[in-house]
Amino acid sequence: MQASLVTFIQLLRSHDVRISPAETLDAMAVAATLGYGERERLRDGLAMALAKTPAEEAIVESCFDRFFGQQMADFSNTREERERGEQESGDPQQNESGAERQPADSGNEADAGSDSLLAELAANDDAVQALLDSPLLQQLQNNDRNALNLAMGTAAEQVGLGQIKMFTQKGQYTRRMLDAMGEAQIRQAIIGLEERQSPALEELRRYRDILREQVRDYVQREYLLHAEGHNARFMDDILSHTRLSHLEQRYAQRVQVLVRKMARKLAERHARKRRTFRRGRLDMGKTLRRGIASDGVMFNTYWRRTRKDKPQIVAICDVSGSVAAYAKFLLLFLYNLQDVLPRVRSFAFSSHLGEVSELFTRYPVEKAIELVNWRYGGATDYGSSLQDFARLALDDINSSTTVIILGDARNNNGDPKLEIMRSIYQRSRRVIWLNPESRRAWGTGDSEMLRYKTACHFAAECNNLAQLERVVDQLLRLTR
Amino acid sequence: MHTQDFPQLASIEVIEQGFESLGYICSTKIATAVFLAFALRKPILVEGPPGVGKTELAKTAAELLQVPLIRLQCYEGLDEAKALYEWKYGKQLLYTQVLKEKLGDLLQGAQGLAESVERLHQFGDIFYSEEFLEPRPLLKAMQQERGAILLIDEVDKSDYEFESMLLEILSDYQVSIPEIGTIKASVSPMVFLTSNNTRDISDALKRRCLHLYIPFPSVELEERIVRSRVPDIDQVLRRQLVAFVHSLRDLDLKKTPAISETIDWARSLLLLHAHQLDEEIIHNTLNVLLKFEDDINTASAGLGELLRSPRRA
Repeated sequence: MQASLVTFIQLLRSHDVRISPAETLDAMAVAATLGYGERERLRDGLAMALAKTPAEEAIVESCFDRFFGQQMADFSNTREERERGEQESGDPQQNESGAERQPADSGNEADAGSDSLLAELAANDDAVQALLDSPLLQQLQNNDRNALNLAMGTAAEQVGLGQIKMFTQKGQYTRRMLDAMGEAQIRQAIIGLEERQSPALEELRRYRDILREQVRDYVQREYLLHAEGHNARFMDDILSHTRLSHLEQRYAQRVQVLVRKMARKLAERHARKRRTFRRGRLDMGKTLRRGIASDGVMFNTYWRRTRKDKPQIVAICDVSGSVAAYAKFLLLFLYNLQDVLPRVRSFAFSSHLGEVSELFTRYPVEKAIELVNWRYGGATDYGSSLQDFARLALDDINSSTTVIILGDARNNNGDPKLEIMRSIYQRSRRVIWLNPESRRAWGTGDSEMLRYKTACHFAAECNNLAQLERVVDQLLRLTR
Repeated sequence: MHTQDFPQLASIEVIEQGFESLGYICSTKIATAVFLAFALRKPILVEGPPGVGKTELAKTAAELLQVPLIRLQCYEGLDEAKALYEWKYGKQLLYTQVLKEKLGDLLQGAQGLAESVERLHQFGDIFYSEEFLEPRPLLKAMQQERGAILLIDEVDKSDYEFESMLLEILSDYQVSIPEIGTIKASVSPMVFLTSNNTRDISDALKRRCLHLYIPFPSVELEERIVRSRVPDIDQVLRRQLVAFVHSLRDLDLKKTPAISETIDWARSLLLLHAHQLDEEIIHNTLNVLLKFEDDINTASAGLGELLRSPRRA
């Protein structure tokens, strides 16, 4: 049971519930305290120990039901008979007389009628007899769902069904499971019966089909359980490593969700109090020491002060055609981090530069980004844009300002105005340049990156979400 | 706190009954949480909309166990001087004065500076000691001899630093005071944290707690709650008013009426000698349930509709 609890936790992890080893131990303790007897209670208990939000609680509960509550369908007979059984369930006596094959719940007496053909055959054929004696066929004949379920569980473990990742693997795993359960024996018998055109053929075929159906369902269920969450993560993984300019439009929604998720993760990691208080605790040591001068009488009290720090972030984004897609994501990132990032001021430029912070306070982030692109798109001129920036905001840059510049530094052979970059560099706490081009392309053609780089504390290549996340993470660590 | 000392918490059923006898009707889930928290010695983080009885849960637990309830209301700017401990500065200053007067006796007969300093070191220093420690709620909860219920209310309102400070207390039931050392609880208190979800609590804190989400109750549960809290109310009226509150919760309101409001409303209806809900009486008492003018207007507009089709029908 412990093993299956661990599997259950792995399953939850694949569904994006973060569970630490310590919590796994907690879950074990919960299970040990509550016992496995009452499913509802155990479910509640596990949800309490493992989930951290109501949303996660819902995930835990639904996974619990799917994982521990694998109920098998009734496969007692063919469909029409099952339906008939349902109709007649209110009147068991009629059922007794009417049905050729009883629903197996009613027990062994059914065997006499239904299995006579096979049984007769078995008397003359050792192979068939052996088959009839095999536990697999026994389970099928007796509709023993528990035993069959158990057998499927064992087979699933043998073939490692828990490793299933892709829907294309379903057929393969079904085959392997059937083999592990000994379906080959039935297959052989069917071939034998076909040759002889035995009347029992239909009967055996039916059992085989039931078995296949059950195994197929089982594999499907396991696939949903194990692979679904995994695939969603796989997708996120791919998206976060794709060049941002290559992301297809149809993934836009998903990428935005992903950015928000990353931003939330970073926000949590860096969330810390920013408010400081004018007066901290009394600094007893200092008060006493200063008191010595006045013969130990403590005239003045000294209080521990906390350093006040008002960090500020200035984002300058190139929104010309070649870089616009990247700017969008950087801004999306920054503005999704508003809870933890102090003041963000953003500027956009291509031929000229302007402040766009106000757009972000007025509109939702996505809308604001569209407006920015529309207003400032065009051919790039780094020189005049830097001049614009100096005029607008250079005075506001001080030792607590972090400046992030996003651009490819391709200046169309204009004047790079490096001296403005230098003064930004000297005044600010940090200058970070993010370049969507790969490092190898820096400085080639009209790229001024190598020159600008000398006026940056940190320059990085940044063209997919994973890199962006890393940079923003670092940024947060350094600014606060 | 150990199970053998508290038969009130022996099993989930016993807890349910115990709470019920004190007028707190809890779902099995809540009882399970209390049972687990006690058995595993883990804090419970209770979340849910305001007014579903999060704070009440801790109060009732204290009443059930007959141990003191120590409450710490969190707010922005709460620091350890207010939550954990504070030095008694005034007394400390006096102590230094007293010390100075005694200094003559202490150093009597000492030869030279070195010996004086040595004497001074031999002298037991109690400037930073438990004598001068003023315990605040968290420390107080750990000093209780029979154990205690510690209620850390609205932890989401506190700052992140405070949250980190709680970690040591919640996982090991001990506090570190730099000047003295570690103080460990002789009997670990049972801790309830409540949160209204105004911000996300850090994962580190969540990981140390059992997570209990209390939603608005079902109609049946809420009827039982009203019955236990306002026993005199007529059965028909009770059913009507609970159904009405439930249909109110489906509206888009600024502040959805919670259990506490249902109870208040039931009490007011009782005072007014109402036997049945009709539009007029609802109109006159709606301000008990709804706390915003906008909400009252929204509800009044659809009042006939709400009355005619209560959710249950």
